[in-house]
Amino acid sequence: MATFPVLSTMANGISVFRTWMDAIGDNLANLNTVRSTDEAAFQARYVVAEAVDYGSAGVSGVGTGSRVAGIEYGSAEGRLVHQPDHPLADEDGMVRMPDIDMATQMTQLIQAQRGYQANLAVVDRARDAYLAALQIGK
Amino acid sequence: MPDVTTAGLHVALNGLSARQRVIADNIANLETPEFLAGRVDFESSLSAALSGDNPASAEITTERSMAATGVNGNNVNLDEETLALIETDLRYQVTSQAISSKFALLRTAIGRGY
Repeated sequence: MATFPVLSTMANGISVFRTWMDAIGDNLANLNTVRSTDEAAFQARYVVAEAVDYGSAGVSGVGTGSRVAGIEYGSAEGRLVHQPDHPLADEDGMVRMPDIDMATQMTQLIQAQRGYQANLAVVDRARDAYLAALQIGK
Repeated sequence: MPDVTTAGLHVALNGLSARQRVIADNIANLETPEFLAGRVDFESSLSAALSGDNPASAEITTERSMAATGVNGNNVNLDEETLALIETDLRYQVTSQAISSKFALLRTAIGRGY
């Protein structure tokens, strides 16, 4: 076990939420990425989290945070948009745009940010408790 | 063998530290699908052990919360966890101060009263 187990647990949690925010940032940045119709559309990234040591009895069944289990991809089909003046447009004047809903992404961004902040707040608290432990007997 | 006070405070400190780890784990898994929040109990066991002779026999138990889950099967409640974290942190500080006071008494008894 780590010397300060809460801190390593929080490091795991923080990295999951940061990965999530990175994925959303990438999704939003590619909201209007145009491809030609014979190519796949930009696929949104969805971060899948899983618990570490969940239910396995490490120290009295205490898990050690979360980690990124994998990335799921959104629709490669996207949606076809009529833009005849676009250089990538096919003979029917269609281009392929990613099928990403901005409202959903923004909502998830807030969720990810809230989770990130909650994890950081725990680090502050844990630090106080560890400092108190270091003062025992002084 | 340590006296009742030191042994009891020791169990409390261990229990609070386990609770802190569980809360940390809960918050790290705030959005993890199918994750059930962990709960730590040592108070009931400690109070039973203190009324007996051996506070060190108190046990720290961890179980999963059976509270209602959201659509993703997760039941971590951030408000609840944050409050529990603050409370646990303050109690940890109080308990560690109590242990320090106990040691200060012992130090006085052995003639180094500063």
